Amino acid sequence: MVISVSSKLDFFSKYAVKTEIIKPKRIAFTVKSEDVRHIFEELIKQHGHGAFYVSTIAGTDLPGENKIRLDYYVVLLPEEETIVIRTYLDRSNPLVDSLVDIIPGVLSGECETHDLLGVFFKGNPFLKRGFFVALDVAEKGIYPLRKDSGV
Amino acid sequence: MVCNMGVTKVIEVPIITAEIPIGPQHPALHEPLLLKVYADGEEIIRAEVNTGYNHRGVEKLCEKNTFYRDLFIVGRVCGICNTVHANCYVRALEYLLDARPNNRARYLRVLAMELERIHSHMLINAVMAEIVGFDTLFMQIMLDRERVMKAKEILTGNRVLADYMIVGGVRRDIDEVKRARIRDLLLKLKPRVEYYKKVFMEDETIVKRLVDIGVLKPVDVTSHSLVGPVARGSGVKIDSRASDRYDAYDEIPFNVVTRTEGDSWARMMVRWDETLEAINMCLYILEKLPFDGNPVPDEKRLPRVIPHGESYARVEAQRGELTYYVMSDGRSPSPYRVKIRTPSFNNVINSAFMYVGLSIADVPVALTSLDPCISCMERVTVIDLEKNTRYKLTLRELAGGKV
Amino acid sequence: MRRPKILGLVLRNFAKRPATIQYPRVKTPIEEDSRGVQYADLTKCTGCTLCALECPADAITMTPIPQGYEVTAKNPRRIYPLIDYSKCVFCYRCVKVCPVNAYIVTSKYDIAGPTRISSEEYSLSTLKKVS
Ligand code: SF4
Ligand code: SF4
Repeated sequence: MVISVSSKLDFFSKYAVKTEIIKPKRIAFTVKSEDVRHIFEELIKQHGHGAFYVSTIAGTDLPGENKIRLDYYVVLLPEEETIVIRTYLDRSNPLVDSLVDIIPGVLSGECETHDLLGVFFKGNPFLKRGFFVALDVAEKGIYPLRKDSGV
Repeated sequence: MVCNMGVTKVIEVPIITAEIPIGPQHPALHEPLLLKVYADGEEIIRAEVNTGYNHRGVEKLCEKNTFYRDLFIVGRVCGICNTVHANCYVRALEYLLDARPNNRARYLRVLAMELERIHSHMLINAVMAEIVGFDTLFMQIMLDRERVMKAKEILTGNRVLADYMIVGGVRRDIDEVKRARIRDLLLKLKPRVEYYKKVFMEDETIVKRLVDIGVLKPVDVTSHSLVGPVARGSGVKIDSRASDRYDAYDEIPFNVVTRTEGDSWARMMVRWDETLEAINMCLYILEKLPFDGNPVPDEKRLPRVIPHGESYARVEAQRGELTYYVMSDGRSPSPYRVKIRTPSFNNVINSAFMYVGLSIADVPVALTSLDPCISCMERVTVIDLEKNTRYKLTLRELAGGKV
Repeated sequence: MRRPKILGLVLRNFAKRPATIQYPRVKTPIEEDSRGVQYADLTKCTGCTLCALECPADAITMTPIPQGYEVTAKNPRRIYPLIDYSKCVFCYRCVKVCPVNAYIVTSKYDIAGPTRISSEEYSLSTLKKVS
């Protein structure tokens, strides 16, 4: 099982800047933010839409490093192995290519991350404030999950 | 018109696309969500899911409270699936601490979660019966559901909010008397569930309303990140109980139920089969419950500091894969970040494409077959500012075709 | 059209007693050890405030014990945990963390009413009055 998964991810090595482990045993590949879209395009090209799904998009604000970290949790089927594609965005201008046109399932995750953390997904026409956040908060331009938002 | 008899001309009114908001408040589903469907005559041509009515900011709240206080906060993300939320969070902490509860605790955790699965699946099947206008069946299922609620009360001390999980184990043990009583209740429940399954399979009303409604192809399931019974109803085998083998799922035998039809009916049948599967698992647990020490850790002696690190736990909630990401900085008593992704968050928001082509009366059926749980999905209170002056219908009226 | 499969069940139900419980005229049967109202036994409580810190709902406020009660020497600050039951979520975290196991637990659940109810009366009743 381990072999089949790693062979599926062979092409990752050319993108991965760093690999680490998120407990328990989830491999996290840190990649450059420009590459995120290429990776998913390649994943679809090689294995098709049926071979994985994007489970979660988790954004974390790291004001100490002036970065926003974006993790895509991808579940590979049929083994159901979770891997993480991790990228760091500039906190003052968090911009990343949207995946919504190639993987419609990221819609909910991208909209939420935009609304709560202020990450812009380039090419996602559905992004809007007030998706989850109360309108009075959203109108002030506050992103509640940023550490300095004061909410 | 002048000549009223012998009309020679029929004026056809051009059908204007009608926008029909369903929700955010309707008595049938008790869930605040606005599903806007655009209809051309009876046929849906576009559907939009509007959210933001119920977000309570639990993720932010978790960052502001301590690890152990969060345990009870995450249990209140959703009432119906509170033990799975707590279990997922507790396991995320246990991964960080490298702790492992003893076997008895692991079995008892699964028992609590499977009891919850039984009552949740019975509830949504009952609601489905109500939505299609079969109230008698609704009442009957809810009456039998009381048995499993009682079993949950015996096990955890409360019918709904269990507060059963704690780092390193569970919060109360069961004795022989309780064990026999829960067993008794489940044995009485089992034939009832088998009967209801048969009703769902054979009853004309139900079959007519559910079959071939809201068909999802397997490839759509994965590309839209749909999980749980929705995925399994389309033949996509996603079950984190079988793949992650957390808690005692590595020792308890069970089958992952899948069906290939992919319609609303298949999703409901997956739920009935899983209910039976869960009853069998519970009976197995009650029979084989190991005795390897006390499953209840002393809450006064829990580790005060959670080590630095990140963990990501998955759990198969009743509605699908539920994930918790917890990050601790190793210094402060509260988590640095908690990310909760609930199954309904994917299932409801990403499934707007499913409604296209259905007739208006089928929309509630398709929505209910996803088992939407909005408080799971959204987590912040918002006062609804939308002044929608257009007419609104309840889901039930809609399902009855009173448009 | 076929006869609905559920007809037999319905007819049998007609003969049965109603399943609905006429609450509050009839009490709902509940478990002896289900989680109901809990309060601190002030002969044991040391006033350490741990339960108030751990309560996830912030339902507990440490309150001075009024004059006219005999307070044990273990509680030099003369404070006790006052639980606001309208905030309490009955998670029993306070019961479990108390270092001296001071909490008394009951399965009383029917506390809803027109007035706010707190643990003041219950807790103070565990203390003797100074004559
Ligand atoms: S039971 Fe829970 S919510 Fe209630 S007072 Fe105790 S700790 Fe607070
Ligand atoms: S934890 Fe126990 S001893 Fe401390 S204040 Fe609360 S009831 Fe009193």
